[in-house]
Amino acid sequence: MIRRSRGLGFAESTLRVFGFSVGSLLWSKRMLFLALLSAVPVVIALVARVAEARGTPLHLAGSETLVGTGLFGTMVWAAYVRFIVPVFGVFLGTGLIADEVEDRTIVYLFTRPIPRGSVLIGKYLAYLVCTTSVVLPSLMLTYFAIVPVSAVAASFPQLMLDFGIVVIGLATYGALFGLVGVVVRRSIVAGLVFVFGWEPIVLLLPGYLKRASVAFYVQSLVPHAVPRSDATFLPQLVVREIMAPASAVLWLCVVLAVCLALAVRTVGRRDYVLDQ
Amino acid sequence: MCCRCGVVVSDATPVISADHVSKWYGQVSALNDVSARVPPGITGLLGPSGAGKSTFMKLMTGQLRPSTGAVRVLGEPANDNPGIYNRIGFCPEQDAFYETMTGFEWVSTLVGLHGLTPTAAREATERAIEAVGLTDVAGRKIGAYSRGMRQRVKLAQAIAHNPELLILDEPLAGMDPIGRRTTMEMVREWARAGHSVVLSSHMLHEVEAMTGNILLMNQGRILADGDVRQIRSLIDTHPHRVFIKARDPGALARRLLLDRDVISLRFDGDAVTIETARPDELYDWVTERAAEGDCGEIEELSSPDDNLQAVFNYLVKA
Repeated sequence: MIRRSRGLGFAESTLRVFGFSVGSLLWSKRMLFLALLSAVPVVIALVARVAEARGTPLHLAGSETLVGTGLFGTMVWAAYVRFIVPVFGVFLGTGLIADEVEDRTIVYLFTRPIPRGSVLIGKYLAYLVCTTSVVLPSLMLTYFAIVPVSAVAASFPQLMLDFGIVVIGLATYGALFGLVGVVVRRSIVAGLVFVFGWEPIVLLLPGYLKRASVAFYVQSLVPHAVPRSDATFLPQLVVREIMAPASAVLWLCVVLAVCLALAVRTVGRRDYVLDQ
Repeated sequence: MCCRCGVVVSDATPVISADHVSKWYGQVSALNDVSARVPPGITGLLGPSGAGKSTFMKLMTGQLRPSTGAVRVLGEPANDNPGIYNRIGFCPEQDAFYETMTGFEWVSTLVGLHGLTPTAAREATERAIEAVGLTDVAGRKIGAYSRGMRQRVKLAQAIAHNPELLILDEPLAGMDPIGRRTTMEMVREWARAGHSVVLSSHMLHEVEAMTGNILLMNQGRILADGDVRQIRSLIDTHPHRVFIKARDPGALARRLLLDRDVISLRFDGDAVTIETARPDELYDWVTERAAEGDCGEIEELSSPDDNLQAVFNYLVKA
């Protein structure tokens, strides 16, 4: 006979959900696809390194040559901050609860003596661990492929800062799309529209509308100098005019906390009607 | 005492009480002013598809909130009360799993959410897996399980934490005859040990084999509750269709035509649909054939809804 246990608290429930979610998320087909996607910048970096070694380094649309830390900075901005981080957020963040609902397995978690919110937070933590364990190695490989050995010592602290930016970006996008996933039915579509429709547009607009994006705050943290010699990079210059890093971090933390709190509240109150 | 399962039924606190409960999905009414008290022991929730059985069960298990009214389970509110899930076990109807996990991993993962230590969770899982007869295949991925095995591993996750009340939504759907018999025996055994069970079905004979106490539902309402024999007398006036999926449907059909009172018979791929006036005898006969294996392997036995629907139509008109 089983000795009946007392119910688990929120923190312990969260840890148990996290425990089994990490494995299933890490080896999911979606994560495999995203891991392949995060290998693309590494390949580009290797190509750039080979091109540089052959004396034909990459150029911007204008005339500026991109090598070493300059190229790495551009890749952090264009490949990671503006593409990989939000894409991971959309495809994995929206699925925190929605995937279980779609697979009709949520019933097994919601009929356990644990708060519903702990299911969401446990899965969110699993998302964070899995995404950082895929994106950070990609960023590191890109760095070592591009930056010459002689420049590593000087620029390594910058790499650590980039790690921090990527982690906070993944955390914030994950929380935002975690909320979208529990509120909106076609959450991936909504997420993609936000990332590739709304954010690029509002970032180009003058005024305060750009503050209604995550990219605005994350990009404010990117420390690398953006190439300035060509008009095609004017949007970057516009983006980079804006917020002090400390304020950006604060706002990102606020967005993260509010989104998670709203998502937990929604999950706790919502009826999930599963297709039979 | 219930004559079928030997469970002592008392006038004690009902295991489930619903008080003027309604549930709407937008404009659609799934449950309409339902009031019921489910006594301890085994209770069958009987009704055709769309009757509101699953919705009622989701309300009992706190997955849904009633639009109006209140549901109490084991004397406690069903909603916003996670602690109640230590006392109830739920086996849903849907065929959904973490397919890449083994049966053992899946059950132990879920039972672990009840606050058991890893060792206690492992022991509880072993007991539950053994109770449903899956010990030999517990290490196999659920994705490789047959339909009957999947049903049984679902049962295992519901009983693993030794709940006081089991709520089973169509627990026998898709099982082979032997799996049905084993599961029905397990449910009876569970009740004999002092637990309560609420199970839904659209097949009267299934419920009847486990309990005489039923709640009869149709179109979101409870039409009747109490003794199953009254419903039985009604259903026997209607021809009954039975669907049998078998490895060798031809051999099965030949034996059926020789041995049984068959009104009509229709082949449908590797299945046979039979119309009979004596469904109970037919079910017993098919179970015997499955056990003996003299008509080849019988993979599935089910009954379309329309027999019961005919009875409900009759009741509603009456």
